[in-house]
Amino acid sequence: MKKLFAVLLAVILCCTAFAAFADDITLKVWDGQDDQELLKELCEAYAAAHPENNYTFQYGVVGTADASARYLEDPAAAADVFVYPDDQLIRLAMADALYEVTRNHDEIVAANSQGSVNAATYKGTLLGYPMTADNGYFLFYDKSVLTEEDVKTLDGILAAAEKAGKQFNFDVANGWYLASFFLGNGCTITLDEDGKQVCDFNNEKGLEAAKAVAALCAHPAFLPGDQNILTGTIGDTVCAGVCGTWVADAIKERLGDNYAAAKLPTFTVNGEQVQMGSFGGCKILGVNTQSAYPIEAMNLAEFLTSEESQLRRFEVRGYGPSNINAAKSEAIASDPALSALAAQSDYAVTQLIIGDFWTPATAFGNALIADPTVDIQPLLDQWVAQTIGQ
Amino acid sequence: MKRFWKDFAQGDSWVKGSCLVMGLGCIKRGQIVKGLMYLAAEVLFFLFFFGFGWKYLSHLLTLGENAQLKVWNEDLQIYQRVPGDNSMLILLFSVLTVAVTVIFICLWVINLKSASHLYQLEKAGKEIPSLRQDASSLLNDRFHITLLSAPMTTLILFTVLPIIFMILIAFTNFDANHQPPGNLFTWTGMQNVTDIFLGNETKTRTFMGILGWTIVWAIFATFTNYIFGMILAIIINNKLVRLKKMWRTWFMIPIAIPQFVSLLLISRALEPPGAINVALMKLGWIKTPLPFLTDVTLSRIVVIVINMWIGIPYTMMTFSGVLMNVPEELYESASIDGAGPIRRFMSITLPYMIFVTAPATITTFVGNINNFNVIYLLTAGGPASLDYYQAGKTDLLVTWLYKLTVDQHDYALASTIGIFIFMIVSVCSLTVYNRTGAVKKEDMFQ
Amino acid sequence: MKKHTNMRKLRTSICLHTLLTVLSILWMLPVFWLLISSFRKEPGAYTPYLWPKAFTFDNYTRLFTDTRLFNFPRWFMNTLFVAVCCCVITTILTLMVAYVYSRLRFKSRKAIMNICLILGMFPGFMSMIAIYHFMKAIGLDQTLLALILVYSGGAALNYYIAKGFFDTIPKSLDEAATLDGASRHTIFWKIILPNSKPIVVNTAINAFIAPWVDFIFVSVIMKDNYNNYTVAKGLYTMVDKANIYQYYTVFCAGSVVVAVPIVLLFIRLQKYYVAGVTGGATKG
Repeated sequence: MKKLFAVLLAVILCCTAFAAFADDITLKVWDGQDDQELLKELCEAYAAAHPENNYTFQYGVVGTADASARYLEDPAAAADVFVYPDDQLIRLAMADALYEVTRNHDEIVAANSQGSVNAATYKGTLLGYPMTADNGYFLFYDKSVLTEEDVKTLDGILAAAEKAGKQFNFDVANGWYLASFFLGNGCTITLDEDGKQVCDFNNEKGLEAAKAVAALCAHPAFLPGDQNILTGTIGDTVCAGVCGTWVADAIKERLGDNYAAAKLPTFTVNGEQVQMGSFGGCKILGVNTQSAYPIEAMNLAEFLTSEESQLRRFEVRGYGPSNINAAKSEAIASDPALSALAAQSDYAVTQLIIGDFWTPATAFGNALIADPTVDIQPLLDQWVAQTIGQ
Repeated sequence: MKRFWKDFAQGDSWVKGSCLVMGLGCIKRGQIVKGLMYLAAEVLFFLFFFGFGWKYLSHLLTLGENAQLKVWNEDLQIYQRVPGDNSMLILLFSVLTVAVTVIFICLWVINLKSASHLYQLEKAGKEIPSLRQDASSLLNDRFHITLLSAPMTTLILFTVLPIIFMILIAFTNFDANHQPPGNLFTWTGMQNVTDIFLGNETKTRTFMGILGWTIVWAIFATFTNYIFGMILAIIINNKLVRLKKMWRTWFMIPIAIPQFVSLLLISRALEPPGAINVALMKLGWIKTPLPFLTDVTLSRIVVIVINMWIGIPYTMMTFSGVLMNVPEELYESASIDGAGPIRRFMSITLPYMIFVTAPATITTFVGNINNFNVIYLLTAGGPASLDYYQAGKTDLLVTWLYKLTVDQHDYALASTIGIFIFMIVSVCSLTVYNRTGAVKKEDMFQ
Repeated sequence: MKKHTNMRKLRTSICLHTLLTVLSILWMLPVFWLLISSFRKEPGAYTPYLWPKAFTFDNYTRLFTDTRLFNFPRWFMNTLFVAVCCCVITTILTLMVAYVYSRLRFKSRKAIMNICLILGMFPGFMSMIAIYHFMKAIGLDQTLLALILVYSGGAALNYYIAKGFFDTIPKSLDEAATLDGASRHTIFWKIILPNSKPIVVNTAINAFIAPWVDFIFVSVIMKDNYNNYTVAKGLYTMVDKANIYQYYTVFCAGSVVVAVPIVLLFIRLQKYYVAGVTGGATKG
């Protein structure tokens, strides 16, 4: 057995050695549909900067949302370098899909924000190259209806909206947004040392948070519904809503000069104001463990997440960089959406969820929308029981 | 079978040699081409078996022993991966190899049979059929073999083998935590079955709840379409209605739009701020939006109603076809008795329509049990329920199964459910099919 | 007396026509909604008002000219190619199988028929992973050929309606031909097929439409190779979370473009389709 193993290892070493001398290197890269042009531009820049090898790139259209699903369907046919959102990290790590970042590890950690490095780390190992730090959510609002003072508290938003005959959109039926009440009130959802899911959304604090959600649902100025509702109504019947940077362009287009963004508001618990928490989100470049050219793939990933590439990505696509230097640039600091996100990032936690959290979260949100006066505690207990897998 | 052995034992050394070298008997008796084809099949099989199949088949019992390994490479400064066994490919190609072997054994037996048959013919001094004669028999006496060979090959490759593979998956632990090639999965026996029915209360409740709704749905979806489609057809075919063809076309246009488009549109329109609620509120019929997609009862009614929108045009067309073709003799015999139009309809047209459409109705019923599109695209199974495991109140077994596969990667559980759907549906429909008149009287008109 | 009957007839007629008008409006509403959405100028998947503020033809021109992100013309041609091939292959295979079950009597016929029947009831997407890896093993993954094989591979399972139709063609025709020395092969091509126009059309239409509307199998087979997408998969990517705001109205326009040929086919071949659906049972 050991002998076989040694032979195998030798074969692989030889292969990689040959690969290092080889001229023709084919790398497959995945990114979303509307990021393709930029991806091509950056990859070609990389090839131009490395004339010692003859690079051929294959571009696959796989958006971040589908990355892990597409990867797991057939890892051998998946891209060498692909973008995934941090919430898919654990699933990919469990499938041993990602190369550890071991080359230039310290430089990469130092160059990127702490939150993005944490998001790309699982069980103490950095499993990817942080690319953006903008995959979280925050508040968009209409300046002509709400003042900066109004958007500090949920009550302020709802009161001003009601007065103006407008509504506030929040996707209560989506666990990702819904969690912000619970996280804000001090509840946690995380993994213990054995990698098992722990969640205490059904404790006293959780109940208080859930009551705040119920109060929101019962408010006449509240409008449930997903991002399509928000992008379709803001500036019209809706004056504020919670979503992420991917709708920023659409909302900017609709609101024009009245476009504004802020961190999430505070909400009322027992008469006191509590800041809403959130999941901080990052997009990460991963290197496929099935790659035939791991070193080249890593170099490419490093190039694609460098300060220059991240700045270029902001210029072309408006993505918020995870690179510390890039984030300091003036253009980024003055972008309303990205600065709102940066303000929210102080209250954001890394998403560590492997349990069955999402479907019951939707069920819980729907139950509150349907009837805000429902007995909450049993619902919370069921939700948590499913999440931690009992 | 006995005769086969007797003939074989009586055969000469060429016949017996065909055991080892296929086609030998044929070549000796002058069927050179046929013999060479047997020989070629044998060579190809062994090439396939030892060149490809064996390396998978030999691991079938464990589904792989060596997991993918990480080894630190000091030169490159990376954790290099040493590929391990891929459990899924082992299982899949083992199934393929076994299937090819079975086919090969059949071919081998046929080869022996034809060798002894030719020997008997030669001994009796009869003429040995030429290649041309064999070929022409394939176009006549054995025409079914010619016609069935192509469809059956694709059927075995693209339907039968994958189904066997999926059935076997139900007895493994292939899920998100055991994903090849990073991890191995292995046999777990009846674990998944006991899990659904005994081990996990939520899963049992989910399965039973969804099964119940699936049956209720199938009954409603089938019969609402049946009854209203029939009524619509009768209206359009009424003598007083002008422009029959135009009316039929109106109803057919909606079904020409791909369902993933029309249902997506409708599901957006059903949301609280969606077009339907907006319209109803503008009309002043309701004050607050109706929770079409979040209320259990309402969403169940909605899927049945929308399914009528999709299904009625089909049934309308079926019944139009039937109505236009009611045999005149039936009416003639009835009008002699002086029956009025309503009695004529109740005692002649209706029974005739029900009789003729019975097989189509069963097909529709089975189709509705597996009606993925309407549910998945309209409600995605929602409203999600805290009582259920990864499912909602309008989920059918088939949509639940899809979500488990695609979203949860829980292939083992999904396959187990798949087998149950399969059993329920096939037992029902086989019984019914084989009892309907159409099958029993298949030779009636010939 | 006669006048009275005429009045009643007129009233019934008016009632029936009103009912039909109301129903057809109900049926056409979503179609109409799709049409106006495809001409809507404002982007986005949702508007709080029903009637668009402005109309434009841009969504259609964008569909065919703006091919940087969504190569609709290419996907359209892919689908057309796959659909035509599927149509031919599936029709031939299905009719062959149906003919065998209807006319030829051989050992294990009943058993094979029953097996085919229940195999068709297994949820298709469950077998997709296996099919993908088979295709990969023979180097056909992510190709249009693989898609054609997948769509027409199960043809042997859909014999039921066609068999019912063949059952109604009098056997005396076969017998007469056999007396004239025709082989079964000749009978199938020269006698049965020419007498089965409705069922041929019916099978062909169904086979032709399948590639236009399926988005599940094509995702599994094509994965990231978006040059080989079909329109259904391509359109489906337009309503992704990231694209839906910009591309929703274009998606509607694309759907209309896909629906038009299918509608025309239906209208043109309505007569045969109706006869086909009833599986010839009507001839009894």
